[in-house]
Amino acid sequence: MSCSSQSRGLCAEISWEFKNVSRLFSTATPLHLCFSGGAVPSDSEATLSPFSQIQTLFRMGAGREVSISLDGVRDKNLMQLKKLNIALFPVRYNEKYYADALASGEFTKLAYYSDICVGAIACRLEKKENGGQIRVYIMTLGVLAPYRGLGIGTKLLNHVLDLCSKQNISEVYLHVQTNNEDAINFYKKFGFEITETIQNYYTNISPPDCYVLTRHTVQSPTKK
Amino acid sequence: MGASLPPKEANLFKLIVKSYETKQYKKGLKAADAILKKFPDHGETLSMKGLTLNCMDRKSEAYELVRQGLKNDLKSHVCWHVFGLLYRSDREYREAIKCYRNALKIDPDNIEILRDLSLLQAQMRDLSGFVETRQQLLTLKPNHRMNWIGFSVAHHLNSNASKAVEILEAYEGTLEDDYPPENERCEHGEMLLYKISLLEECGLLESALEELRKKESKIVDKLEYKEQEVSLLVKLGRLEEGEVLYQALLSMNPDNYRYYEGLQKCVGLYSVNGQYSPDEIDRLDSLYKSLGQQYKWSSAVKRIPLDFLQGDKFRAAADNYIRPLLTKGVPSLFSDLSSLYNHPGKADILEQLILELEHSIRTSGQYPGRVEKEPPSTLMWTLFLLAQHYDRRGQYEVALSKIDEAIEHTPTVIDLYSVKSRILKHAGDFAAAAAFADEARCMDLADRYVNSECVKRMLQADQVALAEKTAVLFTKDGDQHNNLHDMQCMWYELASGESYFRQGDLGRALKKFLAVEKHYADITEDQFDFHSYCLRKMTLRTYVEMLKFQDRLHSHVYFEKAAAGAIRCYIKLHDSPPKSTTEEDDEMSKLLPSQKKKMRQKQRKAEARAKKEAEEKNEELNAGGASKSGKRHVKPVDPDPHGEKLLQVEDPLSEATKYLKLLQKNSPDSLETHLLAFECYTRRNKILLALQAVKRLLRLDAEHPDSHRCLIKLFHIVGSMNAPVTDGEKLIWSVLEAERSTISQLHEKSLVEANNAFLENHKDSLMHRAAFAEILSILDLNRKSEAVKLVEESTNNFVPSNGALGPIREWTLKDCIAVHKLLGTILHDQDAALRWKSRCAEYFPYSTYFEGSCSSVSPNSIYSQLSKNSEHESSNHSTGSQNAGPIKSNGKLDAFKDLTI
Repeated sequence: MSCSSQSRGLCAEISWEFKNVSRLFSTATPLHLCFSGGAVPSDSEATLSPFSQIQTLFRMGAGREVSISLDGVRDKNLMQLKKLNIALFPVRYNEKYYADALASGEFTKLAYYSDICVGAIACRLEKKENGGQIRVYIMTLGVLAPYRGLGIGTKLLNHVLDLCSKQNISEVYLHVQTNNEDAINFYKKFGFEITETIQNYYTNISPPDCYVLTRHTVQSPTKK
Repeated sequence: MGASLPPKEANLFKLIVKSYETKQYKKGLKAADAILKKFPDHGETLSMKGLTLNCMDRKSEAYELVRQGLKNDLKSHVCWHVFGLLYRSDREYREAIKCYRNALKIDPDNIEILRDLSLLQAQMRDLSGFVETRQQLLTLKPNHRMNWIGFSVAHHLNSNASKAVEILEAYEGTLEDDYPPENERCEHGEMLLYKISLLEECGLLESALEELRKKESKIVDKLEYKEQEVSLLVKLGRLEEGEVLYQALLSMNPDNYRYYEGLQKCVGLYSVNGQYSPDEIDRLDSLYKSLGQQYKWSSAVKRIPLDFLQGDKFRAAADNYIRPLLTKGVPSLFSDLSSLYNHPGKADILEQLILELEHSIRTSGQYPGRVEKEPPSTLMWTLFLLAQHYDRRGQYEVALSKIDEAIEHTPTVIDLYSVKSRILKHAGDFAAAAAFADEARCMDLADRYVNSECVKRMLQADQVALAEKTAVLFTKDGDQHNNLHDMQCMWYELASGESYFRQGDLGRALKKFLAVEKHYADITEDQFDFHSYCLRKMTLRTYVEMLKFQDRLHSHVYFEKAAAGAIRCYIKLHDSPPKSTTEEDDEMSKLLPSQKKKMRQKQRKAEARAKKEAEEKNEELNAGGASKSGKRHVKPVDPDPHGEKLLQVEDPLSEATKYLKLLQKNSPDSLETHLLAFECYTRRNKILLALQAVKRLLRLDAEHPDSHRCLIKLFHIVGSMNAPVTDGEKLIWSVLEAERSTISQLHEKSLVEANNAFLENHKDSLMHRAAFAEILSILDLNRKSEAVKLVEESTNNFVPSNGALGPIREWTLKDCIAVHKLLGTILHDQDAALRWKSRCAEYFPYSTYFEGSCSSVSPNSIYSQLSKNSEHESSNHSTGSQNAGPIKSNGKLDAFKDLTI
């Protein structure tokens, strides 16, 4: 795999293994028990806004609770995101990817399963050409294989969508390989639609085509 | 004071003293100069001026003035006192004591001087003097609480605890009934507890207990009260009451191991070595089962039974103990269990047990016999535990395959990389170990622990410059490297000293080892302030404990390592003194002109670089100094940062002896102490002292290969000496003669026979065979090839074990390296050394020393790329942004395919 030699900029992947997908969607919701505003597990020195500290408790077996929490990405723990990407995606990301992720602030999050970092969503904030409005581009979203089907991906995506509605950002979009049906179905559940097909978007993987998935929300009129 | 002066000047003199006490030194200096204008020879003023200058960092002037002042007024206690203070400020306590004594001869009742003297006596452990001084103070001012307490403590330190009790009781007699007032309850309670501990020390257990209970209401520290009470009860044999009390303590803190130990003692189920009869084990088992019912949240109550249970019961308990911790994900689980590996048979049981858990989780996602699904992380933590297990057993290949699988499963867990690094270290690949420690470090740049661990691995791999850069990431900005010294960061200095020693840079090595020695001197020094502080604050039990700790401070393992390291440096320095410049020139002349040119260029470049670095450092220092110019202390630049001056000692062995004496005094139970003593004294031709070292070695471990080696070597040296001529020599001979007959190993045997007997007793041990071979070659140079053959004929047997995964061999990497060195450098048989090397490369495929096929020095190894990277990455190291690219650990599992089961 060559390192960041993509001719068409950065690509977004969603890496769900096919066999896991049915399990993923059927078990995600019933495991979801409660929300509580606990502390972020690993790094205490970061200053986080309150909504980044959402913690979910999952019940594994009888009486065992495993909490899932989100934490921001900083230069001190950037390697965690790199480790995840190496394990999850067939593409090596360049420095710009990581700079964008850091710059997006709350829009890029690591997901922790008890104290283990198991997934991440990384976004880039883009200014639209006309009007200077901001839209969000999801660069990557992924969860390590053994930890799928626990609602972690849903939680990560919901976090970004909530943030968008709070900040009145009406457009979220991403690229996905055309054969990645599970990812496409996953995003459709959250209101994403295929808005465009780009031929030969990828250089090193087959098929090389991708869809653009976009989610538009109507902006609340008060905040114009 | 200032009595000989007219009133105006006398007032000025008082002003000097006041200014000194309030640290207004400039004001004091002015006043002193005003007096000296009229009375240039006034001794006390000269002295005070000197003392003031001493506080303004003008040392040499200070000594000059104080000496002159004393000369002009020998009968003044002020001058003597000032001289004492000056010495004290320079930590010259013995001299200071002399000065104070002179001052007291002139003014025997001067309380200030007496108090200062008493502090110095406590510091120097002049205990009878301390008692005397404290007595005088008490007689002069009996209404002062501190004087009573001080007198009592003095007697206690001087091994007279009963006198100390009497004094405290007399002091209590002076108190009103309603004492203490609300704000002094803590201090008074501490004093009472101190008194009770004194009674206990005197063996007056009954009265100690009685006193304790009588004063219960006045003792504030209720926990200490209970602990003291139970300790007295147990000592008095009142075990039933003790049992009740320990139960009460356990309900307060069910994780305190000492309470469990105490409870076991009370019910008659305690053995120091942990050995119990089957019946006792049953009773212990039921005791802990009922305790476990009471204290469900205690981890101690679950862990302790693993120590005494055996066989199937152990297995069941261990199973119960391990499962929830693997589910929860407790990285320290292995170190919690590791002491069990010293119990025979338990490691095998643990191995089977964990393998079963692994198998069950892998196939069904559940523990055996359970229906609940385990969280996905349980498999990873199980693999993590297994990897450490196999590491501990020396099965490094299996350990690595397990840890790699864990990393493949969850590549974001930092502990996995740390353990991988540790396994590689044990397997003998320091460069790869350092690279993985660095990877762990990069995963959390805000974690000092992984940073420090990485630094340690880098030093073990002799990457000193890289290690320094990494360590500095966590020191304060500004004075970077020195900061580690100021923080007394001894592990770093030791590891770095050892690395320099391995690389043959004795100057820098000595610098580091002596820095550690200096820290210990500083720690001794640090107790000074507590002599007055603790008496005032009444923390008497802890104070006495601290003094006892200080008395055995130099037996601490870091000091032992530093002193041994320094001694080794000095011995090496003695054996191969640094080359003088003429010798270096000789070496140059042997080279071809082109080579010479190259070398000169190289040297010039190195010099230029060093110069530039030094300049940069100075600039940094200046910049730093400017910003805090308000502060008084600007740190002087180290004039000898590379320890070059340390190498220029005249007699390295006499330097070594200094540290050797400290070791002999403080670490007499370590073989190494006496080995070093043997090496030093044989080199200095001190035969009797060498004999003393040998006798101590024999007493500690007569069967140890090194003891044997030293014993025979010594008498071999004696045998080759010339016949005695002088009376002294004759005396030494007669002592040796007499001693020889008392050593059983040599009794009626020649050295060769003794050596043979030694081999006969330890035929199957590699290191004993090596010792025999070395001695054989020393005793008879013609039998060298026989010696080599004997070493090579050693067999590396399997350790009997039920381990499910592969056999374990007996030899350790460390021993095999020692044997390789013996073959190559002592027996001088290069072919044999090569044969040995290739043989050991088979046993230790990860060892870089033997260039094993899996080690990072082998071109075929998966780690080979990695060690090269670590050499080059120093440039952009500290940014922490380096790509994970070169270390693609996730792809690495393929290489281990054939190793996994």
